[in-house]
Amino acid sequence: MAEGTMTGDTRTDTESAPAAGADAIARGLASYVRSVYEPTLLTRLRREGWKTFVDTPMPTRKAEEWRYTDLSTLEPESYVPVTCEGERLPVERLPEPVREAMESDRDRAGVMVRHNGCLEHLRLDSALEAKGVVYAPLEEVADHRPDLLERFLFRSDVAPMEQKLWGLHAALLSGGYFLYVPAGVDVEHPVHAFRYLDQEGSVVSTHSLIVAEAGARVTCIDEYVSPDLERESLSLNGVEIFGADGATVSYLAVQQYGRGVKHFSMQHSNTGRDSTLNGFNVTLGADLARADVTSHLEGEGARSEMLALWFGDRNQHFDHHTLQHHEAPSAHSDLLYKGALTARSSSVFRGLIRVAEGAQLTDAYQTNRNLLLSPNASAVTLPNLEIGADDVRCSHGASVGQVDETMLFYLMSRGLTRKKAERLLVFGFFEEVLERIPGEGVRSRIRSSIETKIQAR
Amino acid sequence: MAEHLLEIRNLHARVEGEVTDILRGVDLAIRHGEMHALMGPNGSGKSTLAKAIAGHPGYEVTSGEVLLDGENVLEMEPDERSRAGLFLAFQYPAEIPGVSISNFLRTAMSARLAEGEEMDIFAFQKRLMEKLEMLKVDPSFAARYVNDGFSGGEKKRNEILQLAMLEPRMAVMDETDSGLDIDALRIVSEGVNTIRETHDSMGVLLITHYKRILNYLRPDYVHVMLKGQIAHSGGPELADRLEEMGYDWLHEPEAETAAV
Repeated sequence: MAEGTMTGDTRTDTESAPAAGADAIARGLASYVRSVYEPTLLTRLRREGWKTFVDTPMPTRKAEEWRYTDLSTLEPESYVPVTCEGERLPVERLPEPVREAMESDRDRAGVMVRHNGCLEHLRLDSALEAKGVVYAPLEEVADHRPDLLERFLFRSDVAPMEQKLWGLHAALLSGGYFLYVPAGVDVEHPVHAFRYLDQEGSVVSTHSLIVAEAGARVTCIDEYVSPDLERESLSLNGVEIFGADGATVSYLAVQQYGRGVKHFSMQHSNTGRDSTLNGFNVTLGADLARADVTSHLEGEGARSEMLALWFGDRNQHFDHHTLQHHEAPSAHSDLLYKGALTARSSSVFRGLIRVAEGAQLTDAYQTNRNLLLSPNASAVTLPNLEIGADDVRCSHGASVGQVDETMLFYLMSRGLTRKKAERLLVFGFFEEVLERIPGEGVRSRIRSSIETKIQAR
Repeated sequence: MAEHLLEIRNLHARVEGEVTDILRGVDLAIRHGEMHALMGPNGSGKSTLAKAIAGHPGYEVTSGEVLLDGENVLEMEPDERSRAGLFLAFQYPAEIPGVSISNFLRTAMSARLAEGEEMDIFAFQKRLMEKLEMLKVDPSFAARYVNDGFSGGEKKRNEILQLAMLEPRMAVMDETDSGLDIDALRIVSEGVNTIRETHDSMGVLLITHYKRILNYLRPDYVHVMLKGQIAHSGGPELADRLEEMGYDWLHEPEAETAAV
């Protein structure tokens, strides 16, 4: 990158970008960047992201990582970046759970609401604030604590095949938060962010940066909501979690977008020595949802639990890629991803346990189970191991199957109709993931969303 | 009300996809409130009969009738048979991870109400606690997933719990005694007796391999099944004779008629 671009002058940023097909988005981006005040640090990261995006070829389906989700049809320039100009949405038009979170303090340490990337609401328990907890928009932190942000923002080790979208995400960043928990601070209730999207034909790019210092403990929830959209919108999302020695972070992403949304989520957790990450992904909405979830087990004795559930209907396509990267010895990771599919929906799971050379006494598990509820639904599962140490315990398991006839008959023999029996079996299938989801309110909303999907089939 | 609660007429059935019948003309009639024991050696067709009555999809009825209070159940789906009042206590109950016993039972009881109605939660809890107590089971049992990781005895207790909760008109108990130790056998049997006391019109078809359970449950009639047919029927004393002499004497067609 040229020296000049480091000064924060936003006027020259995209003019040197290569022409090939990127002109339109370059112009759009330039006008977007000019339209808002932005701290130097963010502008620099945005430019670096843009450069990565431009310099990286769009992955084709020849790449193993993108075999089942065709990126070549993705045209970033066809979406309009969200802006915060224009009228704000009256609060009463926001969805019920969002309003409820804005109006009630109950069982939440903090709440953030963004509407089309714009900050609508932000609150953090003042007692936590006094202890040094930060829950703030990235731009605010970039102004006041650039040193802190610089240490973590876009610092995760992103795989080559993820670079293209990661760069685009950085370039188009339209709102993110920084959650910082100082050493030893225990945040009892979840910190809860809602991202509501209703701008037709837009691209929104959000970032969650979570840092828990040594021995800190925090639970963080990100929810994505939208109505059905007529003109397709694109949602890009980056998550970076840094758990220092002995920290415990629980992170839950719940994606319940309506129709007409493509969602790409790239999540990186970096766990230090004896640090624990409990990660959850719930995917119910959007037409296409792709999640790249990477757990970097960097410290000895780190623990990572990775759980996910999805329920696809109509022609939804969900694609989950995971990496359990054991970089240090004696770390433990346990992945359980469960998906149910009905109608013509499809899903992909591609998971890798990678044990670095020297990461002895690694203990890693990976399980993907798929339940097909319709003859037209399909699931692909590709679990994988790549082991560079000799004293490890690793296992993986995967299955794609239909409702178990023995269980079905048993339930029906007690008077349940086939439909009711299947409903119970779907919930039973999800229960081992559901029961571990933090936060009773969000758990029961996930249940009722699944219920709605079951009833609609 | 038909004269017989359960009437089986000339029933032929086989494993789905096979060419030979396992049941080769079974005739059996049970009146309201009666308990019948069905005994017989392994492979005689006892469990096939239980599954055919319940509508197991792995079995095909090739001819004959099964009437519940005069109504042909063979045309019904398994769930319709259940709601009509049939209950099968399974020999090998399915394990259903993620579904709690209480959720399952409440759904099953709600299935007997009008569409959209749900069993009242308080009435349900009260009844559930009573039945758990009757079976000498800790209340935490109801929160466990259906049969998931249960011992043989726990599975059978769970079957009887369901029987007690659903109070069917006709219960078919398929080797409920197998795999039970003597204490569990006594508790399960006492449970069945208690259900019969309060729900005295219920018919029971008790399929068993051993006479042991008949020390606790007194059937009105005992039938012996051989090679897919009821080869012999009698009163409770027949069970004693089987205990003494085994099944071999019944193989002689002469003895079959002479013994009555």
